[in-house]
Amino acid sequence: MSAVGSSNPEYVVARVRARRGSLYGDEEYRKLTRMGPSEIARFMEESSYGADINALGSRHGGVDLIEYALNRNLAEQFDDILDWSEGSLYDLIARYLRKFDAWNVKTVIRGAYTDADQSAIETDLIRAGEFDDRRVRRLLEADSIDAVVEVLEDTIYGDPLREAYAEYEETDVLVPLENAVDRAFYERLLSGLGGDEPTRQYEAFLKAEVDFRNAINALRLARSGADIDPAAYFIEGGDLFTRGSLARLARNLDDLVEYIADSQYGEELGPALRELEEADSLIAFEHATDAALLAYGDRLGTIHPVSVTPVISYILAKEREVENIRAIARGKEAGLSADEIESELVIT
Amino acid sequence: MLEATNELGNVALQAGGTLTDANAAAALAVGLAALGAGYAERGIGSAAVGAMAEDDDLFVNGLILTVLPETIVILALVVVFIV
Repeated sequence: MSAVGSSNPEYVVARVRARRGSLYGDEEYRKLTRMGPSEIARFMEESSYGADINALGSRHGGVDLIEYALNRNLAEQFDDILDWSEGSLYDLIARYLRKFDAWNVKTVIRGAYTDADQSAIETDLIRAGEFDDRRVRRLLEADSIDAVVEVLEDTIYGDPLREAYAEYEETDVLVPLENAVDRAFYERLLSGLGGDEPTRQYEAFLKAEVDFRNAINALRLARSGADIDPAAYFIEGGDLFTRGSLARLARNLDDLVEYIADSQYGEELGPALRELEEADSLIAFEHATDAALLAYGDRLGTIHPVSVTPVISYILAKEREVENIRAIARGKEAGLSADEIESELVIT
Repeated sequence: MLEATNELGNVALQAGGTLTDANAAAALAVGLAALGAGYAERGIGSAAVGAMAEDDDLFVNGLILTVLPETIVILALVVVFIV
């Protein structure tokens, strides 16, 4: 509800655990990979996504309906969690969910850049973050990037965006703006975390996420061989890289792979790294980082049952479910076989 | 509450610095046990309400689990009859 008062992990964890039970398991995924888009929609209608499918069914159809229903459900569930939690628990959860605010800001900026239709932008937003409806509406009504920056003036994105806007005006590319949003999000993510044991574990998880993001960015840069300064994409806060080491490693793919294999994540990411070397497939590496995060999240949720960690564990599992169903639906639309789709899913 | 503690302190002081009056000690034992039970029920209660909000069938289980720590107070009451 808000960051005041004492935190109430008992209540939130009880509700979240009940919801976790209704997430799809292996069995459901196996069924879903053998269905067409309309059957998937019908299957979802009979599960916890029923209300969302019904609300959007008249306006959209096919894979779009599935996608928007997933986004809507995700936003509602995460909004609920923020509604329930109080005190320091709210702060810890909001840190992570602000990534949807960052996503929304980037979507709106891109929409303003391409002069997209307001309703088209609106359907792509995921209203799961901290921004209330009023601010989202004002963001949607902003018809230029300048206006978007103005709406965000009093948020954490205000100052960085203002600075990046000057750069954008010179170069007319969106990269500085998007980087500014991402960096504002990651800076807030890890600053001033408290000291008790569950919070430290949460911090370790967040650091792993930052590390993986840095690793994926560096791998992409190293593989593309493009002449971009890797340090510009560096995200602070992780354990694995420093700005200097990332810039050095991103020049040589083999060094980078070796460095990651020798790190504390080597055990979890080892098979994916070998695959990366052999088949040159970055997708497998991205899936491996996702699976490692999810497995870590699962473990996280059981060690300290009454703390923020089970909530984060649920948030991760839910995000993963939404992405899996989206992958199934999109894969079906593109005519992939059930086996190919299954290799795209991240299930622990 | 404060006055009661003051009273208790006076009683303790008059009795020579320690809590020697058996009745006062028993009262203190029950009171502390009740405080502990209340604290335990706070967490269980909010978790039970959370679970009930998701699934109504959990009402009976939630109720039982919520009042379980009450047994501490009942056991502490035994002390009152012993002294």
